[in-house]
Amino acid sequence: MNCEVCQLKELEVEHFEIREVLRCILHTIVFHRALGLVRPKDVDLELFEITYVQCGDVELEKKIDEKIDHFISWVEKHPNKKSQICLSFYEVKSKQPSWFTNKTERLYWEQWYINLNVTQHPKHHSSKSHHTKLVVDPGESATEERSSRRAMVEASLREVLFQIIKFVNEKKDHVPPISEGVIYFPYEITIPRKFQ
Amino acid sequence: MTSTHTNSHTEAAKMEQVITEFFYKSLLIILESRSSYVSSRNYSGEQTVSSPSSSSSSSSSVRPRDKWFNLALRECPSALENLDLCRRSNFEPVVVDVILEQKPLDWGPASFSPTSDLVRNLSSKNKNSYFWNSDQQDESGSEMKCEKIIERWFVQNESRKGRDCNSGNRRSSCNNLSALYKKLILMLRSLYVTVRLLPAYNIFRDLNSSGLICSFKLVPRVSSFVEPLTRKEEVDMQRFWFTPVDTSCGRLCLSVLYHSSISDMSSESSTPMSPQFIPDYVGSPLADPLRRFPSLPVSHGSPSSLPFSRRHSWSYDHYKASPPLVSFSPSPTHSESNALVSNPSSLGLPPMSLPPHPPETSLAHKRNTNFDEYCPSPNFSASPSPSPSPSLPIYIPWTHLSKALLRSESAPVNIAAPKLANTPALSGKQNLPPCPPLKITRAGTSRTDNIRVPAETDATIEKIFSFGKEDCWKYSGVKAFSNSSPRISCSRSSSRSLQDDFDYSEFPCPFDVEDGEMMDPGSRKSQDAAVGALVRLLKKAPPLRQNVSLNFSEASRPEILSNSIPKQSQILEAVTVEYAAAPNIASFRLVASKTTTDALEELRGYKVMKNLLLSEGGKAYTSNVASAAEHSSTSKDRSIL
Repeated sequence: MNCEVCQLKELEVEHFEIREVLRCILHTIVFHRALGLVRPKDVDLELFEITYVQCGDVELEKKIDEKIDHFISWVEKHPNKKSQICLSFYEVKSKQPSWFTNKTERLYWEQWYINLNVTQHPKHHSSKSHHTKLVVDPGESATEERSSRRAMVEASLREVLFQIIKFVNEKKDHVPPISEGVIYFPYEITIPRKFQ
Repeated sequence: MTSTHTNSHTEAAKMEQVITEFFYKSLLIILESRSSYVSSRNYSGEQTVSSPSSSSSSSSSVRPRDKWFNLALRECPSALENLDLCRRSNFEPVVVDVILEQKPLDWGPASFSPTSDLVRNLSSKNKNSYFWNSDQQDESGSEMKCEKIIERWFVQNESRKGRDCNSGNRRSSCNNLSALYKKLILMLRSLYVTVRLLPAYNIFRDLNSSGLICSFKLVPRVSSFVEPLTRKEEVDMQRFWFTPVDTSCGRLCLSVLYHSSISDMSSESSTPMSPQFIPDYVGSPLADPLRRFPSLPVSHGSPSSLPFSRRHSWSYDHYKASPPLVSFSPSPTHSESNALVSNPSSLGLPPMSLPPHPPETSLAHKRNTNFDEYCPSPNFSASPSPSPSPSLPIYIPWTHLSKALLRSESAPVNIAAPKLANTPALSGKQNLPPCPPLKITRAGTSRTDNIRVPAETDATIEKIFSFGKEDCWKYSGVKAFSNSSPRISCSRSSSRSLQDDFDYSEFPCPFDVEDGEMMDPGSRKSQDAAVGALVRLLKKAPPLRQNVSLNFSEASRPEILSNSIPKQSQILEAVTVEYAAAPNIASFRLVASKTTTDALEELRGYKVMKNLLLSEGGKAYTSNVASAAEHSSTSKDRSIL
């Protein structure tokens, strides 16, 4: 079975936006891979005008939040660096049992790479105002700049979500069959080594 | 052989059922995110069932139809009814038009109807169409509403000609069925996510969450055949295709044509965003306290006269002020909705092979995300027998509102003094709104200060006294009338009494023409009358000193009301009597105590002037004035009592 890989478009986000962005993307992907009986839960982002969908599993939500916390702490240790988080779906295959091992192996059939470029908020350039007669209120320009930046991030996030939808629609054959009693496929969220 | 035939028949039936359920599920997903009647937003909060294994224990919460495609949504009977009505076979397409319907701003009684809804039949040829609330068409006609198709969903099963649907062995058909089912699950998952990313969802969410009456609503219309959109309509729309899923007899296709720029419609509607009040509309002293009423004379005195001016609602034309701009939005949330709709940042578009993104905006709107509670909008009811919903935009035309505001205005001159007491322009003075002047107001005064006395209706008096500013207080309490309000007001009765005083004095006035004095009746009378009026007012002023107040309720007035030049104490007594009879003016006594000296000086000055004038007069005039003085003193006595 081939492992389908999807590299999502890079998002330039600020530190405080990481949690919301990652929640949105990860839950959207998992919802598409939660093929068991689900009762979808709509979640509205606070920072953006986007509503994403969760599959409604409390445990899943908890695990994703833990991984996001882990990622955020990593980002704090490595500021101003491009980062990547990987969501992988696998099947558990048991190896041929031997005398010494009874291991199971994971066969990854799909990997999603979420690329983030965590930036710091740019400082306000107050020196410009000294050389101009017209006094510009720094608060207003900063607010406009922040709004403009927020809109760009929202548009990029929307692009990423549609990228996920398109990928899910185009590639269906590699998805394993649905197992009875299983809501979502086994998954893992990791930070690739090259970014560690 | 027979078993094979039976099995294939069974497989075909299953396939047919899967396709039918797919149509129903896709229709449900679209309608529940575009119709306020049915929504899974709150339904999804019920986390009772998360796996089929637990379905046995909580089977009651999972309806049989929920299990189809493993997507539990709120049941929508209307969706099923629509599906049954508009489709006779699985090969008939289902078209869902999402219409943004907006009521015009200047709706009147004719268009206002609680039951008037929404959907009109755009195509007379569409016999198979079934409309939401078709029995509640707008009686006023389609011209009253603004409708625009912002989304058009296509769900269809394209038949594959020249291929036997029942071909294939049993195993392959089973595999096909399970594979098909899995793919349809994935497609419906994508559909569920996509409907929430399109621009129309923001409108739906805001309509649902606000729970308030808006001037627009989303109306989904399900049909099996619709007229194609015009070129103009289609130009502004983008298309999104879901990858078709092959079936044994064809392929299931799902696509949407959506309007990428809904903000254009909201801007065309020009619905007011939020109520806006002009804070200084009704002559708020904060607006321009120094503005004067145009009919009032300009004071040559101190600027303290200006604070009494007040811009009234009828006077805005004079000052070229803009009329009050009061507009109401249907609801605060509507303003928010409009803001969201007009926010281009919410108009995201799918990327890559899909149409390009809409222009981005510089505004980002932060929202409240507490949408767990389902708040059905009163605007739209998609049930077969819906109750009338009060889908009324709260819009009050400007003309009506302006009239209401004008009605609430106080009369031009009926302004109570306490109202102006706290205005900053008044600076603690008992300044009062201006009064139209009388002829007698300006006559031979050396010093002038502006004392304003409020007037009621037609009786307005403006007195100019040549006292210091501190002396304003003693004249502010000229008279408290029978209404006994603490405010100072000059009613007609007061003016009449004052008029009487103008002509006659209750006690001799320095300007009274005494016997023996020769005066020109014609030329001197008006001047003397004016001076006499001033003196009368002086007499009516509150006592200058508190300790001077004596109990003059006794009948000592005849003594006071003599023609002789009053002594200083008698003047004060007269003034005191005046206030003893009048209620609620005792406070003025305390204030006027410090101005006694000035008042006495003024009196002396008047006396000198009077002597000078009288020295040139004749006896005849003097006798006439004396008799008139007696008469006025008598009437004055009556008024005091």
